[in-house]
Amino acid sequence: MNLNLSFMAETFVHALTGIPTTLKITLVTMLISAPLGFFMALGRMKGNKGGGRLAALYVSFIRGTPVVLQILFMYSLLPSLLNYLFKSILHLNINIFRMDPIVYAYIVFSLNTTAILSEVFRSALMSVGHGQMEAALASGLSSSQAYRRIIIPQGLVVALPNICNTTINLLKSTSLAFMMTVKDIMAIAKMDAAYGYNYIEAYLVVLVIYIILCTLVQILFKVMEGSLSGYRRRITA
Amino acid sequence: MRPFHPQLILTALSKTLPYLWVTIAVMIATVVIGSLIGLLLTRANIRRRLIGRSIAQIYIYVTRCIPSIVLLFIVYYGLPELLLAFGININNASRAVFVITTFSILFSANMAEVFRSAYEAIDPGQREAALCAGLSEWQTFHRILLPQCTVIALPNFTNALVNLMKEGSLAYTIGLLDIMGKGQVMIGQNNGSFALETYLALAIVYWCMTLLIEKVFATLEKHLTRGQKILSDAP
Amino acid sequence: MLEINNVHKSFGKNQILKGVDLNVEKGDIIVILGPSGSGKTTLLRCINFLERAEEGTINFDEIHTSFKGASKQDISRIRKRTGFVFQNYNLFANKTALQNVTEGLIVGRKIPKDEAIRRGKQALDKVGLSDRYDYYPSQLSGGQQQRVGIARAIAAEPDVILFDEPTSALDPELVGEVLGVMKSLAKEGATMIVVTHEMGFAQDVANEVVFMDGGVIVEKGTPSELFSRPKDERTIQFLKRIIREDFDYSI
Repeated sequence: MNLNLSFMAETFVHALTGIPTTLKITLVTMLISAPLGFFMALGRMKGNKGGGRLAALYVSFIRGTPVVLQILFMYSLLPSLLNYLFKSILHLNINIFRMDPIVYAYIVFSLNTTAILSEVFRSALMSVGHGQMEAALASGLSSSQAYRRIIIPQGLVVALPNICNTTINLLKSTSLAFMMTVKDIMAIAKMDAAYGYNYIEAYLVVLVIYIILCTLVQILFKVMEGSLSGYRRRITA
Repeated sequence: MRPFHPQLILTALSKTLPYLWVTIAVMIATVVIGSLIGLLLTRANIRRRLIGRSIAQIYIYVTRCIPSIVLLFIVYYGLPELLLAFGININNASRAVFVITTFSILFSANMAEVFRSAYEAIDPGQREAALCAGLSEWQTFHRILLPQCTVIALPNFTNALVNLMKEGSLAYTIGLLDIMGKGQVMIGQNNGSFALETYLALAIVYWCMTLLIEKVFATLEKHLTRGQKILSDAP
Repeated sequence: MLEINNVHKSFGKNQILKGVDLNVEKGDIIVILGPSGSGKTTLLRCINFLERAEEGTINFDEIHTSFKGASKQDISRIRKRTGFVFQNYNLFANKTALQNVTEGLIVGRKIPKDEAIRRGKQALDKVGLSDRYDYYPSQLSGGQQQRVGIARAIAAEPDVILFDEPTSALDPELVGEVLGVMKSLAKEGATMIVVTHEMGFAQDVANEVVFMDGGVIVEKGTPSELFSRPKDERTIQFLKRIIREDFDYSI
């Protein structure tokens, strides 16, 4: 088995130009999903029953179906739905079919990641013991002050490893964005490969790039964890 | 807006469901092979011999970073050529071979982590107590440690299984005719119309399967933990 | 100063408190004794509304309310006038010792930061932790954590301090330091309600001992009355057992 190394080098450099797209999808999705997921988690813990059931159903559906199916479904629904929305209801003159397809990626991945993160936040908040809440109330804090100053800061630290996992899974899922004609790393490598049937080489290149990206994400979270969880360190004599 | 025909969801269900067994068969094969590799990885990890352990850890780390679809394509295009170098021709093998290979690699790394954390969660006192009570190493393992490990590992195993099923839906991209593949073929035959209904039907199937798996394993866990519940103090 | 009447509380079908009255005057040290499950802890938690009693009234100086109908303001005012020391400390894991003490002052009571820090340090000094201001709970021993818990409870100068078995989670050799702090508080005239099994503490410090069993107060009196001349059979049995255990323990 011979690998075409010069092709790999070229494709590597070429595929690097897709990194900004991949990172942009990941970052924008996290920025949209983190606050939404967080408030959904809070709402499910303290909010009304009806809303909670609906949220639980949404989370269950998202977690119960493959991402690729969500992508295919939304990609066949969204263009015509948005077109209808803009033209017939909002009367905006936006040509939906000229819109950057990355917008679809933002929508699909945000819908997915919001559900995942809401579960992450919920279990993290619940892991902070009931005693912490009682001590805060007994110290004269109101329940919202207790959440803001005691429960949430501790919950975030607990959640961090799982947020890291979610980010990595999201980063990996963005490799499916090519199905929505987004020009990410995967799409570029795929096109390069098609010229001379160099598929193995092209995908090996993608693999290397993903290992690098995942490593960077993990380093980033390690640094964050270190600076946020100072209070958990024990002094060992 | 394109018209939406809810009754076509039923049609799509009836046409795709017969292919569910392919999805399930591939899953079962993957779980068996993946778990075996996972056990080997765990063994290498626990034994703390430098070389075996490093290999296991690198394998797990790299696998964790690979998007499933990338590995699927690498295996699909690469495995035949690799084997050809050893004089084995699998160019005419079933697509299922590539799918099972790919997902066994991914699943084994997940399993290695599941097994390791279950193993580490058990108090070393359990082993010591069993040995002191006169049990042999093997008896200690399969009568005391293994049952406790199983209970601890079960929720994570369930998660890994559901993930495997969901990621496995990518198999259609290399042409496996499982439930997802059949759905895609149907959409192709209709020149892309009724895609929404078909995808919804598939989503329903996957959703039900997920709920079913979770339900079965939750029941199993309950069954296995009877007698292990800690008596809680009266308030 | 603090008077509660006819407190009833159930968890599901399980009736824990079946009509308890308690009257606390300024400077009182009341020790509540009783077997586990007798409702001592629940009673304490009902006083500052960590549990909501179904029936009964509370009169706390000028606050007069039923437990059931207490408004948010009532609850908040009562909590700000009481300190609570937990069995398992419940220190805020993300705050240092000093922050644990000042949190309720700055955020809950809106005391200016400088003043709060001054008072927080004073409280920590009082419990003998002047060298541990900036330690996180995970860096402190159990006895030290509980002393921070006491400092947190006294820093706001509450009218009454509630202690829920403050020493029962501690290793035996650490119990002394916590009891010592509690004794010195008592000497300074603090008003305290203490749920505990420490008979020595009850004997030395309490001016009233209350014995609870099965959700009611069986008997109460001064330590010497209750310990040397208990009237009710249940009290006698309980004291026999506890004192024998204490005795066994000391050898």
